[in-house]
Amino acid sequence: MTSSAVDTAGAQAPVPARPRSATAAMAAAPAWLRWVLLAAGLAFALWLPNGLYPAVAVDILCWALFAVSVDLLLGYAGLLSFGHAAFWGSSAYLTGLVAVHSGVPFPVAVLAGALGAAVLALPIGYLAVRRTGIYFAMVTLAFAQMTYFIANEWRSVTGGENGLQSVPRTLGGLDLSDEYFFYYAALPIVLAGLWAAWRIVHSPFGRVLAAIRDNPARARALGYPVHLYKITAFVLSAFLAGLGGGLFAMGHRFVSLEVVHWTTSGKVVIVVVLGGIGTLWGGVLGAALVVRLEDWLSFSGFSQIGLVTGGIFVVAVLLFRRGIWGTASELALRLAGRRRRQRQRDRQGGTAA
Amino acid sequence: MVNFLQQTFNGLVGGGFYALLALGLAVIFGMLRVVNFAHGAFYMLGAFGTYVLLTEAGLPFWWALVLVPLALGLLGIVLERAFIHRLSRLDPLYNFLLTFGLTLILQDLVKARYTVSSVSYPQPAELAGEVPLGLFDFPAYRVFVFGVAIAACAGVWWLLTRTRVGMVVRAATERPELTRALGIDVGRWVTPVFGFGVALAGLAGVLAAPMRAVNPLMGADLIIVVFAVVVIGGLGSIFGSVTAGFLIGLVQAWTEAFRAPALLTQTLVFLVMAVVLLWRPTGLFGREETVA
Amino acid sequence: MRKAATVAVVSVAALLATAACGGGGPRSGGESKLTDDKIVLGVLNDQTAVYSALSGRNSVKAVEMAIADFKAKYGDKAVTQNITVESADHQNKPDVANSKAAEMYDRKGVDALLDVPTSSAALKVAEVAAAKKRLYFNVSAATTELTGKACNKYTFHYAYDTYMLANGTGTTATQKGAKRWYIVYPNYAFGQDMEKSFTAAIEKAGGAVVAREPTPFPNNTGDYSVQLLKATTLNPKPDTLGVMQAGADLVNVVKQYNEFKLKDKGLNLAVGLMFITDIHSLTPDALAGTTFTEAWYWNFDDRNRAFADKFMQQTGVRPTFAHAANYSAATQYLEAVQAAGTDDADKIVESLEGKTIDDLFLRNGKVRAEDHRVVHDAYLARVKPSAQVGQAWDYEEIVSTIPAAEAFRTPSPDCKL
Repeated sequence: MTSSAVDTAGAQAPVPARPRSATAAMAAAPAWLRWVLLAAGLAFALWLPNGLYPAVAVDILCWALFAVSVDLLLGYAGLLSFGHAAFWGSSAYLTGLVAVHSGVPFPVAVLAGALGAAVLALPIGYLAVRRTGIYFAMVTLAFAQMTYFIANEWRSVTGGENGLQSVPRTLGGLDLSDEYFFYYAALPIVLAGLWAAWRIVHSPFGRVLAAIRDNPARARALGYPVHLYKITAFVLSAFLAGLGGGLFAMGHRFVSLEVVHWTTSGKVVIVVVLGGIGTLWGGVLGAALVVRLEDWLSFSGFSQIGLVTGGIFVVAVLLFRRGIWGTASELALRLAGRRRRQRQRDRQGGTAA
Repeated sequence: MVNFLQQTFNGLVGGGFYALLALGLAVIFGMLRVVNFAHGAFYMLGAFGTYVLLTEAGLPFWWALVLVPLALGLLGIVLERAFIHRLSRLDPLYNFLLTFGLTLILQDLVKARYTVSSVSYPQPAELAGEVPLGLFDFPAYRVFVFGVAIAACAGVWWLLTRTRVGMVVRAATERPELTRALGIDVGRWVTPVFGFGVALAGLAGVLAAPMRAVNPLMGADLIIVVFAVVVIGGLGSIFGSVTAGFLIGLVQAWTEAFRAPALLTQTLVFLVMAVVLLWRPTGLFGREETVA
Repeated sequence: MRKAATVAVVSVAALLATAACGGGGPRSGGESKLTDDKIVLGVLNDQTAVYSALSGRNSVKAVEMAIADFKAKYGDKAVTQNITVESADHQNKPDVANSKAAEMYDRKGVDALLDVPTSSAALKVAEVAAAKKRLYFNVSAATTELTGKACNKYTFHYAYDTYMLANGTGTTATQKGAKRWYIVYPNYAFGQDMEKSFTAAIEKAGGAVVAREPTPFPNNTGDYSVQLLKATTLNPKPDTLGVMQAGADLVNVVKQYNEFKLKDKGLNLAVGLMFITDIHSLTPDALAGTTFTEAWYWNFDDRNRAFADKFMQQTGVRPTFAHAANYSAATQYLEAVQAAGTDDADKIVESLEGKTIDDLFLRNGKVRAEDHRVVHDAYLARVKPSAQVGQAWDYEEIVSTIPAAEAFRTPSPDCKL
């Protein structure tokens, strides 16, 4: 996320906030290491509902997708959406409605929801990408608030305050009533979504996006249709967020107004910052931490949840902008650099510098 | 007809709150390029400060009117020095996120002490009753609020156009590089201006306390509407923010009064904002900024 | 090797940390670890937001008091000494309520869940209770759907509902002279329900609703002046303002009602849903003379006062009806278990259906078998001006008692139990 406008109250060329070292570290890491981490992550994901209450594990999956979708936009396209709950939430409602009214297998309903979110993202994205930086954030916030009010008023469809109840959850003849089994049924979808995000980033499209983020004028000068790329990224991000939201609706079998509330939009940004902007996997990490933390807090009798969430956010933004993943990678890179230099020194036969 | 006039005046009173809050936001944004998400929380602190002054120190409303904005201004200065300043070199979105985190913290701190139930603040006795306003009578306190809002806006306008400080602030807002090139130390005005913006939010809070329920969440949803107002008026344009504030207050009162569908009333401000952003991206009265 | 190890360790450690902090045990299916040696009561409510003063943590205290009293009553003959309370905060969010309820039943082995304010959360928990086949006594939510479309075998609606409020205040106030009403209501399900219920009750009692105004919900600014200003220009002129807002919204409406001096202009105030905590927030003078329907009042008779004194010792405040109702529900559940000798949900349900109960909270109470509505006497209360308030929290004057048979609606055909 770099500065958009030239005029920033006298600041010098702003420090690029995205931890470059994160991707550098990941790129520099030998292939075998990446495979090891991947395998470890998969193994962990397969084990998760055995160690955690399954409903919480399902939540982690959904929020992981949500966070990755926001990071895709923020870390790789340089656009902070402060209203992404509009897509998470509208997909949740659409998924629920499709399931309630047609009884299709849940992946179909979730797909429908995600597509709906993507469709919603077209006009919003079209209008929003004309602005950048803080303007963009505020426009997305405004549209998300509109979505909230629409969901609130359209009671016949969304149930308003009472929410959308009794969303059925079916897949062929499988009994998915227990969240434990649903977790495993949902996992492939989540993995597919994460893989899609990774593919987008490591594709020519992703590279152009990064170029646009770093220097839009140059990208435009090179002939790239900047707005089109941004809108595409926005729609893709909305689709992923919608995937997460649809699964969330399925996981809870219930959709309430919370899914389109601006605090949800704020929460996912916190998750992304905590995990590490521009790292993708940081979002997964952040989601796991935040969901687990909130679950623990609600049973602990500690009532000031906002204090904790806000505190984490303030600390992260002030001191810890690289996030967890970013810091870890940075650390790794530094260690790697030190080892390399050590090796070079040994090779030169210990000649003093 | 009487009802229409009553509703119109009432809309102006509501608009006065928007204008005061938008004014503070615009001033802060103009000078720091920071969109202060915590502005709603400061408004809430202003209302609670008024309540605390009465219940703990026995000081009535008139004291609060002076002391609370001052206290909040000080708080603003402290927060700016401690936190916001550190991120001033970065993308302004970081400060936006920081103020969002601060909002959550401030709200919970007040919640911890006062719970979420509203506390009640009495109207100042000198302003109870109604005053005749031509065709109808209107609560004196609301007329007072309107008067203070106008006075505050006028005062800020005077400060900005007739004093040296104001000139510096305006120059720094419109042409920071040039101002620096002319040898003026813009940096030293950043903190006081932030404090001043926060003080304005506090003032709005003081005015709100006798009129509205005082609870920790009173600023939460309000702030998003004020954002929209500021964007409509033009981020950085003082005049635009104030005008948009009163305008939105009026239009909201009219749509509510004349039975427009509920959805329209609630989303009105955002619809207007969307249209304005499309048509005049920098707001009705904003200035051109380079857009990528 | 070290680099690889570091990165791997940091990442995996962070991931494991998420699960390691006392994570849940292995999946439990429909069966919990319940044995007849243990009874677990659960309180799921709002502990930090708008309803935290109404029930909140003090409801947990009330349930603890019920347990203590039960043990004291039966001593060694109690069905078990191992009775505990679990509690969780649903933050008024139905999705949180949903997951918490499921967790409490499964993970914490809760046998009976109590409280649950906020209609949307309440309805969701009813579903969960039916799915898990565990008991659920809703105390703090108002929706009549709990005994309507959403009714089920394991759900009991214990304290009040929108019909009781409308019928109490609407009917009685109209009978006492409120003939022309101007109703102001928040434009969402609860508010719309209340408006409809009130209109029906008012018209049945011979009054008329001359005007009704929806107010935006949620209301960002807390400003109701638009609707209140209209009151003075209405024709025909109403004599009573019916306010259906709740919580902070109610506080705002009443403040502004006073600001515009509507009482002096001949408009009396009737409130659909009011709790003693609202009177405490607004101070009695702001509401003096307002009539409303109360499910239970601490200063009504000696029995209530005794409980209120004990409660005050433990919490420092007087109990609201929600606290008393939670106490009562916990007590009645324990009594039922004691009598049946088991905590098997189906057997308890059987023993409760049709049972008449007279205790602290339930006067002339009965658990209706048709829809699991627990009926009891309700009261029409009036707010005292502060001059008449003798001691802290003594805000209400009970004007009349509404007998149980009249206070609640007849079983709805929507409920098929």
